[in-house]
Amino acid sequence: MITMRRPAGPTMRRGVVLLGLYAVSIALALVASAVLIAITGGPWQKVLSALLDGSFRGSGRWGGTLGDAAPLLLVALGAIVSTRAGLVNIGQEGQVAVGTALATFVATRNSGPAALIAALIAGFVGGALWAGLAALLRYWRKVPEVISTLLLVFIASQGTGYLLTRTFLLLDPDPNKPNRVQTSAQVDPSTRIGQIRIFGNEFPWSVPVVVLLAVAVGVALHRTVWGFRLSVLGRNPRTAQRTGISVVRSGAAALAFGGAMAGLAGAAMLAGGAANYRYTPGFANNVGWEGLLVALVARNRPLVCIPVALVFASLRTGAGFLAATGVERSIVEVVRALLVLALLVPPAVAAIRRRRAAVESPTPVLPSAATTSAALGGAPA
Amino acid sequence: MGAQAPTPAVDLASITKHYGRVVACDDVDLQLHAGQIHGILGENGAGKTTLMKILIGLVQPDDGTITLAGRATVIHDPQTAADLGIGMVHQHLSLVESLTVWENVLLGDHARLDRRRARQQVADTAEHYGLGIDPDRRVGDLSAGMRQRVELIKCLRRDPAILILDEPTSVLTPAESEQLFTTLREVIARERRAVALVSHKLAEVLHATDVITIMRHGRVVDRRRTADASAATLARAMVGREVSLRTSAAALGAITLTETGELGAPEVEPPAVDMAATPVDTRPAMLTVQDACVVRDGVAVLDHLSIEVRAGEIVGVAGVEGNGQRELGDLMSSLIHLDSGSVTIDGSVVDTRRAGCMARHGVAVIPEDRHDSGCVLDMTIAENLLIDRPGSVARFGFVSKARLRRRAEELMAEFEIQGAAPDAPMRSLSGGNQQRVVLARELSHRPKVLVAAQPTRGLDVGAIEYTTARLRAAAAAGIAVLLVSTELDELLEMSDRIVVLSRGRAIGQLDRADATSERLGLLLGGVATQEALA
Amino acid sequence: MIASLIDVVGDVAGADAMYEAAIRFAIVLAFAATGEWVAERAGTLNISVEAMMIGGAYTAGVTFAQIVSNSPSISPSIAVAVGLVTATVAGLVVALVQANLSHRLSIDQFVVGLTLNLLVLGLALFLDSRWEAVTSVAEKTRVPLLSDIPLVGDALFGQPWPMYLIVPVVPFAWWLVFHTRWGLEVRSVGENPQAADVSGISVNRRRRQGIMFAGLASGLGGGVLVLGQISIRGYATGHVGLKGIIAIAAVIFGGWTLRGTIIGCVLFGYFFALQQTLPVLGHRINAQLAASLPYVVALAITAVFATRSRQPRALAQPFVRGLT
Repeated sequence: MITMRRPAGPTMRRGVVLLGLYAVSIALALVASAVLIAITGGPWQKVLSALLDGSFRGSGRWGGTLGDAAPLLLVALGAIVSTRAGLVNIGQEGQVAVGTALATFVATRNSGPAALIAALIAGFVGGALWAGLAALLRYWRKVPEVISTLLLVFIASQGTGYLLTRTFLLLDPDPNKPNRVQTSAQVDPSTRIGQIRIFGNEFPWSVPVVVLLAVAVGVALHRTVWGFRLSVLGRNPRTAQRTGISVVRSGAAALAFGGAMAGLAGAAMLAGGAANYRYTPGFANNVGWEGLLVALVARNRPLVCIPVALVFASLRTGAGFLAATGVERSIVEVVRALLVLALLVPPAVAAIRRRRAAVESPTPVLPSAATTSAALGGAPA
Repeated sequence: MGAQAPTPAVDLASITKHYGRVVACDDVDLQLHAGQIHGILGENGAGKTTLMKILIGLVQPDDGTITLAGRATVIHDPQTAADLGIGMVHQHLSLVESLTVWENVLLGDHARLDRRRARQQVADTAEHYGLGIDPDRRVGDLSAGMRQRVELIKCLRRDPAILILDEPTSVLTPAESEQLFTTLREVIARERRAVALVSHKLAEVLHATDVITIMRHGRVVDRRRTADASAATLARAMVGREVSLRTSAAALGAITLTETGELGAPEVEPPAVDMAATPVDTRPAMLTVQDACVVRDGVAVLDHLSIEVRAGEIVGVAGVEGNGQRELGDLMSSLIHLDSGSVTIDGSVVDTRRAGCMARHGVAVIPEDRHDSGCVLDMTIAENLLIDRPGSVARFGFVSKARLRRRAEELMAEFEIQGAAPDAPMRSLSGGNQQRVVLARELSHRPKVLVAAQPTRGLDVGAIEYTTARLRAAAAAGIAVLLVSTELDELLEMSDRIVVLSRGRAIGQLDRADATSERLGLLLGGVATQEALA
Repeated sequence: MIASLIDVVGDVAGADAMYEAAIRFAIVLAFAATGEWVAERAGTLNISVEAMMIGGAYTAGVTFAQIVSNSPSISPSIAVAVGLVTATVAGLVVALVQANLSHRLSIDQFVVGLTLNLLVLGLALFLDSRWEAVTSVAEKTRVPLLSDIPLVGDALFGQPWPMYLIVPVVPFAWWLVFHTRWGLEVRSVGENPQAADVSGISVNRRRRQGIMFAGLASGLGGGVLVLGQISIRGYATGHVGLKGIIAIAAVIFGGWTLRGTIIGCVLFGYFFALQQTLPVLGHRINAQLAASLPYVVALAITAVFATRSRQPRALAQPFVRGLT
C-alpha cells in the first residue's frame, strides 16, 4: 500500500519537463552572453566561431582542450569527495597553487622518472596540507571552512608569489632565463609527463589516467564501504559518529583529499607542459575555480564531470582565439558563470515542482496508522 | 452545558480531505461551543491533526463547510484564521529560544513594535490568567512548563474566541499539567471561549473536557459527554478493537488508570526461562555508569550520575525533559564524552572519546530523535538497516547490492516492516516504520545493552504495542535495557527499577514494588527523595 | 632585528597616514560587514557579499566616469552621489539573484554565492574593457577644528564625504534589527525557522530581505571604495580583492554582534593600512608577504574568536517547510 512505485506517465513527463527547462535556461544564458557581446560592440557570431576554432576546429586544438580538461576533472573529483562528506571546500584555487609550488620545488631540483613521481606526490601532499589547514581550523576552532578555504586562496597566491622571489626557494637561478623575471626553472625533460600524439594533436598521458580515475572515484563512492560511510557522514554526521565514523578524522581526511586532488592537478599541469614546464605567478590560472564549478554543474557525479570538464576546457582553449575578434577574453568567464547558473536552476525548479506535487497528492506517511494497525493483527500478543 | 447549546462557535460539517487515495478526514462533523472544552481523541494518523489544520487554515478541505458563529466561512491561511479569532497553542514548537518572552509573544503579529507596551501587555495577560512570568526572561532559560505558559500567553493575548490546544501536556510534569488545566477551565468558563483539546492521552481528556469526540481512520467513531465516558470505552473506541488494556492504556498516557484499578490485573509477560531462574541481584551488571560528569558551556549537564543495569533488567529513567536525559542518550550514542567518571559495559571500561565506542562495546540505542542520530533520511531503508556495518554485506570492500538487499529483506520480514521496498528512501516511511527500522538494526546484532530513549513518542497504538513488546523481549533475552522516558506510565509499566533524573543527577530510585505515580510525581516535582519515599 | 621592529612600531604609531588609511579601510569593510551581519542574523552565510561589493564598485566608477565625460558641467559631488546610488542598485541586483536562487529555488547558498562572485568579477572585467571606470581623486571633506586633532584628526574628520555615510548606516541597521518587527522576525528566522514559520512568518521572504539589505549596504560599500577614497582612481580588479570575505570574517570575529563586527572592521582595516603604509614609511617589506598580511590576520583572529561566540542557530541551513 505504501509502495513508492509510480506509473511511468508522470515520470516521463517530468523528464521531458526537466529537459525543456534545461534547454530554455541554457538558451537564455547563451542569448544573454550574445547580447552582452553585442552591446559592447563585438560580433557574437565571430566570438562563437573563434571559440570553436580555438577549442576544436583549429589544427591541433582539441589535443590542447583535452590537456586542459584533465586538471579540471581532477579538481572536480576532489571537490566531489569533500562535498560527499558534507564539507564546502571552495579553496581549490589556492590548493592548486600550493600543490604546484611544492611539486616545482621537487621537480626542478631533481630529474628522472622517479623525480616525476616524487613531484606528483609533492603536489598531492601540498594540496592536502593547504586544505588540511582549513580542516584544522574547522574542527579545532570552528571556523567555517567556506571562509577559511577562500581566505587561504589569497594567502596561497601571495605566498607562492613570494617563493618565486627567492632563488633558494623557487626562483630560477639561471641569469639568462627567458622574459619573465619571476619564474621557476624549467622542469627537466626526463621529469615530464609523456605526450600522446594522435592526428596532429598532442596531450599528456595524464588525460587518460584522469579519466580512469574519474571512473574509479565513481565506483569508490557508489560501490564501496568507504563511499557508503562517507555518504553517511555527509548526510547525517551524528549518525556517522554513533556508528563509529569519526566526524573529525573522516571529515578532515575528505577535506584534505579534496585539496590533494587540486594539488595533484597542479603538479600534473606543471609536468604536463603548462606554462612551458615552469611555475610562474598566476600559474593556477583559475583551474581551481573552474574545476570546482565542474563538480557543481555535474552535481557531484564523477562520470558526468567528464563531459562538463571538456566543455569548460574548450572555453579555456577557445578563449585563446578571442584576441582576433577584439573581444576581451574575460567574456569567457561571464559565459561560464552564466552557464553554471543556467545548469543549476532546472533541477532546483524540478525539485520544487516535485515537492508541490507531493503536497497535493499522497504522502506515503499518512496511511501508516492504518497499515501498522492492520499489520499488528498478526503480531505476537 | 452540553452539545445542545444554541449556535455553536464552530460548526464543521461533512469535512472531507483526501491525500491522493488516502482519506485523512472522511465526512467529519464537529461542533465547538463557547465555554466548553471539547476533547478530540485518536491515535496518530486518525485525522485529528488534519482536522485542526483545516480549522486554522493550513490545509484546505476537499469538501464540507466551516461555519463560525452562524456564518459560513472559508479559511485560506493561518492569518485568516487568526483574524477570525482562531488561535492554536503548539507543542512548544513556535518559540525561539534566544528571544525573550515578550519578543516571542509578539512573534507573528503585525503591529509596530513597541517594547514598553508589549512588555506591559504580556505582563497583564500573564497576570490576568494567573500565568506568572517575567517578560524579559530569555525563553531558552525557561523550564518546559514555563515555555508552555509562554505559548499559552502568546495565543491568549490575541484574545481568540476559539482556542485549539495540540497535545499541550507532552512536556509537562503531572503537577504542571494539573495546574494548566485548572487555569484553563477557569478561563474558559469565565470568558466563554470555545476550546478543542487534541490529545492521545485518555486521562487528560477525561480530566479536562466536557465533550469527547473520538476519531479513527479519518472518521468520527464516537462522541459522548465526558461524564458518560470511561477509560475502557474510550480506549476501545480509539483503537477499534479490544486492546491489551494495560499496555495500551498506559502507553496512551492514562495517568489515573493505575490507581483506579478499573482495568484489572496487569498482563504478565511470560518470562524467559534462563532469566527467571536467576534473581536480578545475582545477574552480572551489563551497564555501569559511575560518577558520570559532563560539563557543557559551564553547566554540568550530567552531574555525578551513577546508574547500573543488570542483564535482563529494565531500568527506567524518569525526569522532566531537559534534566540530562538527552545527554545520557548522547553519551550512550558516543556523541559526547565524559569529563570525569566512567562507563563500563560488561566489565570493560569504555573510552568515551572515540567515535562509535559504545556501539563497539555492544550498546544499541533507540535515540530520542531518530532523525537526529538514528537514521539517514536520504538513504534507502536497506542502507539504513545496515548503516553501522556495511562491511557485513561487502566483499573486498565492495558493497554487494544483492547481499545488502537480501539482508534487508530478512530484517524487514523479521521486524514486520511492511509495505515498502528495501530500496525505498527512509524518508518515505511513516514514523512507526522508521522506528521499526531503527529497532531492527539495533537489535539485529545481539547487543549487550539497549538504551531506548522515548521509544514510543509520536507513535500510534499499534507501533507502541510493538515497540514495548520488543523491548520486553530484549530484556527477556538477557539484554540490559535502559528506558528513558517522560511518560510515567510507560516507565511504571515496563521498568524493574526507576531512576529519577533532575539536573543531571540521579535524585532518587524506586523499585517497581514501591513505585506509584504519586511518588514519581513528587520526585519529579523536585521534592526531596526522603520525603517521597517516606 | 628587535630594534627595527621597535622602529616600525614607533613609526606606525606616529604616522597620521596610518590612522587615516586604517579608518578608510575600516569604513569600506564596515558597509559590507553591516550588511552581511543582517543577512547572517537572518540565517544566510552570504558569500556573494564579495560580488555585491565588486558590482557596486564597478558601477559607481563607470557611472561617475560617464557623467563627468558626457556632461562636464555637472559638479563632481553630484556625479559621486549618482554613482553611489547606482552602486547600491548594483548591489541590490546581485542580492536579488542570490536571494531568489538560494531562498526561493533552494539552491545551495554557497554554490550560488561562489558562482555570483565569479560572474560579477568577470562581468566587471569585461565591461571595464568597453566602459572604463576611471574616476578623479576624491576630495577630502574636513570638519573644522576636529580634523586638526593630531594623529587621528585627519582619519576621523578629514575623509571624503561618502565615507561619512557609514555614520547613519550602522545605527540604522542596529535599529532595524533590534527595534522593529522586521528585525525581530529576521532574528527569529535566523535562530529557529521552524518556530518562526509556525508563528506565521514567511521564513524565506525574511531571509531574502536580509540578503537584499546586505546587497544595498555592500553595494554602497563598493561605491565608497571607488568614489570615496583619496588613494584610488577608478575600479580595478584587485580593489575589492576578497574584502567581502574579510567582512564575513569581521562578523564572525564580532560574535554576530554589531559592535563586535565594527571592531573587527577597524582591526582588519588596521592591517590593510599597515600593508599599504609600511613601504611609504620607508620600511622594506616583501610585497607579497605584506599583501597577504591582512588575510593571514583575519584567518588567525577568526580562529581565535570563532569558538567563543554563539552563531545564529540556523546559520547556513536552508529552510524548506516539512523537511527536517
